[in-house]
Amino acid sequence: MSRIWAVARQMIAEGIRMKIALVFLVLIGAVVLGLPFSVAGDSSLTGAVQSFMSYGLSATGFLLGLLTIFMSRSLSDELVHRQIFLVMTKPIQRWQYVVGKWLGITVLNAVFLSCAGLTIYGMVHYIKRTHPPIDERYDEAELNNEVLVARHALPAKLPNFMQDAELEYDRNVEEGMYTDVPGFKPDIEKKRLAKKHESRWRVVGPRDRRIFEFENILWDRTHKNTIQIRYKTEVSQYPPDEIFRAVWRFGDPYKGTPVYDAPVRHVVGRFHTIRVPADAVAEDHTLLAHFYNQNPFEGERQFNNVMEFRASDGVEVLFIVGSFEWNLVRLLILMMCKLVFLAAVSVLMVTVFSFPVACLTAFTVYILAAAGSFLGDALDLESVDFASMFSSAKEFLVQSIMHAYNLLQWIIPDFGRFDAVETFVNGRNVSLVWVLQATTELVLVKSLIVLGLAVLLFHRREVAEVSF
Amino acid sequence: MVERALPVVQTAGLCKTFRDFWRRPRVEAVKDLNLEIHPGEVFGLLGPNGSGKTTTIKMLLGLLYPTSGRISLFGKAPTDVAVKARIGFLPEESYLYRFLVAHETLDYYGRLFRLPSRIRRDRSERLLDMVGLRHEARRPVGEYSKGMARRIGLAQALINDPEFLILDEPTSGLDPIGARQIKDVIRELGNKGKTILLSSHVLADVEDVCDRVTILYGGQQRAAGDISDLLCQRDVTQITTPPLSEETMVELKALIRRLEQRDVLSVSHPRVKLEDFFLRIVEEAQAANIRTSGARRGGQVPEFLQKPTETATHDVVESLVEASSRKTQPLTPLEPPPRRARPEPSREVLDELLGRKDTPILRGPPPMGDLEPVPPPADHSNIKKAADRSVIDDLLGGDGRKKHEK
Repeated sequence: MSRIWAVARQMIAEGIRMKIALVFLVLIGAVVLGLPFSVAGDSSLTGAVQSFMSYGLSATGFLLGLLTIFMSRSLSDELVHRQIFLVMTKPIQRWQYVVGKWLGITVLNAVFLSCAGLTIYGMVHYIKRTHPPIDERYDEAELNNEVLVARHALPAKLPNFMQDAELEYDRNVEEGMYTDVPGFKPDIEKKRLAKKHESRWRVVGPRDRRIFEFENILWDRTHKNTIQIRYKTEVSQYPPDEIFRAVWRFGDPYKGTPVYDAPVRHVVGRFHTIRVPADAVAEDHTLLAHFYNQNPFEGERQFNNVMEFRASDGVEVLFIVGSFEWNLVRLLILMMCKLVFLAAVSVLMVTVFSFPVACLTAFTVYILAAAGSFLGDALDLESVDFASMFSSAKEFLVQSIMHAYNLLQWIIPDFGRFDAVETFVNGRNVSLVWVLQATTELVLVKSLIVLGLAVLLFHRREVAEVSF
Repeated sequence: MVERALPVVQTAGLCKTFRDFWRRPRVEAVKDLNLEIHPGEVFGLLGPNGSGKTTTIKMLLGLLYPTSGRISLFGKAPTDVAVKARIGFLPEESYLYRFLVAHETLDYYGRLFRLPSRIRRDRSERLLDMVGLRHEARRPVGEYSKGMARRIGLAQALINDPEFLILDEPTSGLDPIGARQIKDVIRELGNKGKTILLSSHVLADVEDVCDRVTILYGGQQRAAGDISDLLCQRDVTQITTPPLSEETMVELKALIRRLEQRDVLSVSHPRVKLEDFFLRIVEEAQAANIRTSGARRGGQVPEFLQKPTETATHDVVESLVEASSRKTQPLTPLEPPPRRARPEPSREVLDELLGRKDTPILRGPPPMGDLEPVPPPADHSNIKKAADRSVIDDLLGGDGRKKHEK
C-alpha cells in the first residue's frame, strides 16, 4: 500500500504544481461563487436556491469529469517523457503503479468535490440570508420544507388497469368484435385497452372527483408533523387567469383519522405542494386523498373543465426522512462514484493510447455514459422491427452490432441512473440504497473491471517501446 | 574446488526485434547475446550508436521484453520486485519529475523502496552532499542544468544502496569534474564489491574503470573479455624497470642489438588505446557488412551548414577578447561567482553506502596532494589567456548559468 500511496501522492503533487488541478479549482470556484449573482430562478427564494444548486452541482460534476480525464495525462506524460523508466526499475509492481495513478486522481477529485460541496452549502445559506423576500414567512418556510430537506416520495397507488382491460377484452370477444379484424393480436389489444383505462382514470371531469391512495407512509403520525402532497394538473382549456379551483380532502374517516379539506387555487401546469397534518395518515400507514374538480362559476364564467393528472407528473406524498446536510453528503458520494469510474476509464485509456487519443476516447465514454439512456432510446437498437428490416445476410451484422452495443451498454454505465442532482434540488431524499447501488455498480464492479483491464494491458506493455 | 558465485546477470541467446504496427519485423536490435556479469565486476558495454546497448539494458531492467532468449538477474526474472530492490539505475538521460525539488525526488524514489522516513531523509541529504547539490535541494529539478540533473540521477540510483548498479552513459552532459566524480564513485563502489554495468561512449572512462568489456555492433557481440587481455599487443614486448642509468641503457640496447640483430628504442608491451581498438572492431564489422539499424560512419557536413554565418560568434568573441586583453590589471569578478556543484564525491556517503563505518568525515576543501600552489603569472600574455577564458565563459553562460538551461 505504501508504494501505491507514494505514486498517488506524487500524482497529486503533479496535479497541483503543474497547475492543471488549480485551473479547474479556480473554474469551479468561479462557477460556484459567481452563480448566485447571475442566476435568479423564478425570482422566489426557493427558485434562486434551486437554480443555484442545480447549475452549481452540474457544473462541478462536469468540470471534475474533465479534470479526471486531463489528470490521466500524468501517466501518459511519464511514458512519453520516460520518467517511467526510473519508476519501473524500482521495486514496484505494475498494478501498484496503475492503481496509484487511479488513487491519486480519485483523492484529488474527492478533495475538490468536498471543497465544492462545502462552498455550495455555504452559498445556499448566503442566498437564504441575502435574497430579497417576496413573502418573508412563506419564502423561508417553503425553502426549508421543500428544498433544504431530504424527503421520501411515494407515488399514488394505481388501479390495476390491465385487469380492467382483460374484463373489457373478454366482453368484446363475447360480442364478436374482433372476429373479422385482420392481423389481430390479443396482447396488443389488451395493452391498448389498459392504456385507455389509465387515460380515463387520469382525467377528472367537471364536478367529478378522483381518489388517490397512498401506502407505506412510515412517518410519525402526530398532528404537529406534516406530510406533503405534491401534484401538477393540466386542463383541457386554460382558464383566463390560468388558475384552477379545486378541493383536496385528506384522511379516511372509516379508519378513524381526522379529515382535512384544502380548497386550492393553483396555477395550471405547475407543481404545487400542500402540507397536511400527519394524523391524516391511518394506523395502517395509508392515506386517502380525494380530489374534487369544483368547476365553479364566477359570475357567468365557468372555469375548470376537464383536468388531467399526467403519468409523467404523478401525484406523490412526501415526508421528511433526513437533513439537507446528509442529503448533500449522499449526493456528493453519488457524484464521486461516477468520477471514480471515469478515473478508471481515463487510466485505462492512457495505458493503451497516447494522451490525445486517450483523452478523446475517455471523453467519448464520459459522453456516452452521461447520455446513456437518451442514446438507448434514440438508437433503439434493441427493437425487433429494426433487425427484421434487413435481409438475413445483413441480419448477422445487425445482430453483431446489437451485441456489441449491449456489451458497451453493460460496461459503460448509464450515469443518468445515478444522477441525483434534480432529486436533491427538489428536496428529495438521495437514499442510502441508491448510494449503495452506485457504489456497488460503478466502483466495486465496473471501476474494478476497467482498472483490471488497465493493469492487464499495462502489464503486457513494454514501457520503453516507442508508441504513437 | 571453489564454487563460483551465481552471476549477477546472465543472458542466453538474447534477441530483441522491434516490430511495426502490423507486427512485421522492423529492426533486430539485439541478436543472440550471451552475457555474464559476475559479482564485484565493473563491466563495460560498448558499441556505436544503435548497436543495442541501451536495448540490452532496458531488457535487463524489464522495460523491454526479449523477443527470444533468457535473462536472469540474481537468478531471477528482471521483473521480479525482489530483484529490482537490489538494483540502481542511471538512465542515459535524467528522466526526472520537473516539478519536484531534489529532496522530494529522492524521497519519492526512497518511498518506492519502502525506506523508512528517517533513512530516506538521511540518505537524501548525504547523497545531495555527495553530488554537490545540497544547496540547490529546494529548487525544482526542471530548473536544473543537464549536468545537475545527471547528478540527481546518480543520487537516485544510489538511494537504495544497490548491489548492482546500471549506468547508461553516466558522464554524458557532465563537466570534466562531474565526469571524474562519477568515475571515482564507480571505482570506489567497484573496489567495495558492488557489481556495475557501465555503458558509455567515452572509451577512456570505460578503460579507466572497467574490469571486463563487451563490444556490440549491429546488436551482436563482436568482442568480449578482460580489458587487459583485449588491449594487450603480444607481438611486441615492454619491460618496465626503475629508472636506468645511461650506461645500462646503452649496454641493454647493445645486448639486444647483438642478440636480436635489431635496434630497440624501448622495451615494453605497449597497449593500444581502447578507442583505437573499439574503432577497429567497428570497422571490421562494417567491412563484414554486418547490418545495423544504428548510426554509421558520418558523411560530410551538408552544404547549407558549411556556409559562413553572417554574424559569427567567433568574431564577437575575438573582439571582446581583444578588448579585455588591453586591460593590464588582473580581472576581478564584479559579482560573486555562480555557485558550482561541489566537485568531490563525499567520502562519508560513499563509505556509508559501502558499509565502511569508521572513516573520518572530511571537512573543508579536499586535500591537494602533492600539488604546489601555482604562483601568479608574471607576464601579461598569461593574463590575456585568463581574460580570454573568462570572457568566453561569460559569453557562453559559464557553468553557473548552465543550471538555467532547460
